[in-house]
Amino acid sequence: MVSTKINLAAPAGLHARLAGELVKLVKEYAGSEVQIVTPQRSVNAASILSLLSLGAKCGAELEVRVDGGREEEALVSIAHFLETATI
Amino acid sequence: MKISAPAFLWRHNVSGLAVRTFEEAFELVNADLKAAAETEWDKHQVSPLEASDRKVRDARTMAAAMALQKPEAASVFATHLEMLNDPMVRESVEAGLAAGLSDLEAVKAAEESICAIFADIQDEYLRARVDDVRDVFRRLVESMCGNDSALPATPSAGHKDSKVVLVAEELLPSDMVNLDLDGIAGIICRRGSPTSHVCIISHSKGIPIQIGVDISGIKDGDIVSVDDPMVGATSLSKLARSARRRVFVNASNIDEVVEAIASGAEGIGLFRSEFFFMHSPSLPSFEEQRDYYMQLLDASKGHPLNLRLLDVGGDKQLPYMPVEKEDNPFMGVRGIRFLLKHRDILETQIAAALSAAEQFPGQLSILIPMVSTVEEVRAVREIMGDNPEGLVRLGVMIETPASVLCAPGLAAECDFFSIGTNDLTQYVMAVDRSNSEVSSLFDPLSPAMCSALAITVDAAHAAGIPVGVCGELASDPRATRFLIDLGVNVLSIAKL
Repeated sequence: MVSTKINLAAPAGLHARLAGELVKLVKEYAGSEVQIVTPQRSVNAASILSLLSLGAKCGAELEVRVDGGREEEALVSIAHFLETATI
Repeated sequence: MKISAPAFLWRHNVSGLAVRTFEEAFELVNADLKAAAETEWDKHQVSPLEASDRKVRDARTMAAAMALQKPEAASVFATHLEMLNDPMVRESVEAGLAAGLSDLEAVKAAEESICAIFADIQDEYLRARVDDVRDVFRRLVESMCGNDSALPATPSAGHKDSKVVLVAEELLPSDMVNLDLDGIAGIICRRGSPTSHVCIISHSKGIPIQIGVDISGIKDGDIVSVDDPMVGATSLSKLARSARRRVFVNASNIDEVVEAIASGAEGIGLFRSEFFFMHSPSLPSFEEQRDYYMQLLDASKGHPLNLRLLDVGGDKQLPYMPVEKEDNPFMGVRGIRFLLKHRDILETQIAAALSAAEQFPGQLSILIPMVSTVEEVRAVREIMGDNPEGLVRLGVMIETPASVLCAPGLAAECDFFSIGTNDLTQYVMAVDRSNSEVSSLFDPLSPAMCSALAITVDAAHAAGIPVGVCGELASDPRATRFLIDLGVNVLSIAKL
């Protein structure tokens, strides 16, 4: 398992379209299980409803955890997406 | 924006009897959403062969997307598709079925448990996504009940000539996509959130919407009002300013300048000096003009003011200056052509403007109307003489096809461009907009016009000068995003 912490860049927070894009990205790493972790909860990053239910705002600190498959590659690309996407 | 129109009441009808299982309904809704999300996007694809220049191609793509007005709708469908396929939905329904609930009960229980998670979200915007969750579940339930055409009857069907205000208990995003919004002047809902997709789609189409209104007393046909500050000039200027564009206002007299500045305009993008000339009993003297321009600059309180030189000819005449009748006045002695034939008028106006500007340094620009050659700009520059320390800036109106086609040459001779989209559309499309036989061709966002706008903006930026838009297009909130993306620096609108 690998993990890293990022700050959410998107001005409107983790909203529906951004969450949808994240789900798509996560699905590209079929062999990996990806979790998004906040101090309160940990959710499955392949579930748009779970991601939305975090209610993460712009600047929120999120931990990305990847288990299995192409772990390192998935971690870098997902963390980069959350740190830079401004849709 | 505030509008009033007859009310059209709309209710959802769902029978409570299940005719399909969850699995059957899931497959049908999934296929529907998939088709909707994909076909919506396909409409926005533009062949790369259609334009060689990337900027022009982008402009066309955006114009096409705008004409269709459905990009938001497509992304809503894509989100709904993702939600339907979310593992949480299936797990939750299957848990209900395992506990002995019927298919319909299990789906409704799943909806409630998922919506309950959303109720805890602090952020109002993110919490409002619960609308989308309810929308997906409503589709499922309606499909399970055999109601496959969940689309509401189109209100405009019964009101062909006049638009209506749609009054509903609650609207969900898919309703907005399915409704024929052309027949709708405004929307009133009792339930919902101002940040929901319903409001976002409504605003993107320029339709005012009000949420949280008591609708119990409203009957079909009652005249009701919808007041929505997010539609019209307010939303336009908010969007433009967030993209660091400047929002100016057009004016024709001192009162309009005062009002524009009071309502927050950053400047006067187009001051039509011909109205001062038309309202004078005779040709205003140097002193009269200087005093008037000083009043104007005083009224604009330090903000920039673009004084358009006397623009007569065509359909506008000075009562004390009879001119010969022309066969084709719109292609005749107009704007700078008239002024260069009456150099005394041009010289007096420029001298008065320069003199007025001395007390208000850096505020005044002169704008030349109806330019079609570089020589016309040089002639004005020459009359301006020394213009010490660039006291007055010189701008060129881009409103003839010639000015677009020689934009790089013009940009080298002036300090900024201002695109007059009304005249430019008329000349580019070769169409008289008052002639109903051809008026449908009068489209300021036709591919030809998009190219003209892109060429002008590129030429201005290549020369390092700013470009504004002061025609009706600038005041159209549906075009704001397009003009921003094109790189237009200033939007000068009719009224803030």
